[in-house]
Amino acid sequence: MKPRVCIFAMAVFAIVLGIGGNWKTYAAPADAQSAAETAIKIDNFSFTPATVTIPAGTTVRWTNRDDIPHTIVSDDKTFKSKALDTDDQFTYTFTKPGTYSYFCSIHPKMTGKVVVQ
Amino acid sequence: MKRTNESKVAPVASEDHVPHDRILHDHHHDGIDRRGFLKCMAWAGTGAFCVIKGGVLSSYSLGFPDFHKHAAQGELSFVQISDSHMGFDKAANPDVVSTLKAAVDKINALPVQPEFILHTGDISHLSKPSEFDTVDQLLKAASTKDIFFVPGEHDVLNDDGKQYLDRYGKGTQGAGWYSFDKNGVHFVGLVNVMNLKAGGLGSLGAEQLEWLEKDVKHLSKSTPIVVFAHIPLWSVYPQWGWGTDDSGQALSYLKRFGSVTVLNGHIHQTMQKVEGNVTFHTATSTAFPQPKPGEAASPGPMKVPAEQLRTLLGVTDVNYVQGRHALAVTDSDLA
Repeated sequence: MKPRVCIFAMAVFAIVLGIGGNWKTYAAPADAQSAAETAIKIDNFSFTPATVTIPAGTTVRWTNRDDIPHTIVSDDKTFKSKALDTDDQFTYTFTKPGTYSYFCSIHPKMTGKVVVQ
Repeated sequence: MKRTNESKVAPVASEDHVPHDRILHDHHHDGIDRRGFLKCMAWAGTGAFCVIKGGVLSSYSLGFPDFHKHAAQGELSFVQISDSHMGFDKAANPDVVSTLKAAVDKINALPVQPEFILHTGDISHLSKPSEFDTVDQLLKAASTKDIFFVPGEHDVLNDDGKQYLDRYGKGTQGAGWYSFDKNGVHFVGLVNVMNLKAGGLGSLGAEQLEWLEKDVKHLSKSTPIVVFAHIPLWSVYPQWGWGTDDSGQALSYLKRFGSVTVLNGHIHQTMQKVEGNVTFHTATSTAFPQPKPGEAASPGPMKVPAEQLRTLLGVTDVNYVQGRHALAVTDSDLA
């Protein structure tokens, strides 16, 4: 049973990675040119990917793909966006290593994490 | 909280018919006739006429023949509207002005004019001054001039609710909570859209809970209580954030009362639940429908064919019969 679960988990992981990759080339071609920028998509009331691991100095760009506004607010209020309407973007450059948990202050069930190395 | 419209608009004469199955406008010019709408309504499930006695809710279909006669017997009636989302312009409803207008027309056509209107939040979509202005302007056409508000999360964006308080918060406490009495019924407007915590649900907060406890302390247990707030005060579907973290605390202060009715918006659909002495009710939106819990990937706006949209939007008419401690909650759609 266990190996099967493992294989399934790996398959899901691969699918998630695949979707993430496709989206980047589709939605943010300009971002792809910059090595120091990472994209997070807001879609269906969730952050994708929910966790990103980046080197210090990287800028994260959030884009709202929902028909409903969302915000990006770090739990410790280090960064805080205005409400993003559809297709609006928010960027923040992470200079210090650490783990930054954030959420949408309008829909707090939406949470994400940025790990800066 | 309360907004009294200044303009003098003559009340529309009461009409002795059942307005729920009437087409108010045919903005789409799609040739869908009343029968077509009724078919859609059958598909949509349009809500019910409900009578609450001693905390037990009885519901009847909207086709109940004496529906409006019963409604007219009360000594207090009011209307709840919700989630106007003025400024929303996406496919789920590109014309939220027309649907709010239709809601106002529907209110004006009620056989008994309600004493006041409750708006349970998400007046605007993006907290823009122009969005609030538009709603205020449209509501001036309502023959009922007294309108009470509580904020939704869309009304307090970017400024921690400052603009909302400037516009609607006169005489309120904290982030805009307040209470008032009408014909022996105690109404409490609560704010559960501020200071939301990561991973959490709606929140009332310690200060407001303390105020609520004091607010209802002096009331006799036979006083009917109506609590209204934007996000449901019961766990409709926590996975989508449809609930309030500390609502249990608030409801504990209301346990001793014989009749408690809780009116919410936020989820853009009608839902009811009875728990002991408390009846919970959520209202439809005047702007766009949202999916049933868990029936979509997310609670985003639900796109439905244009001719079905108005069957999923609506107003709630609430009627109180003094002496019986009963509130009748009626939902009607905008079709």
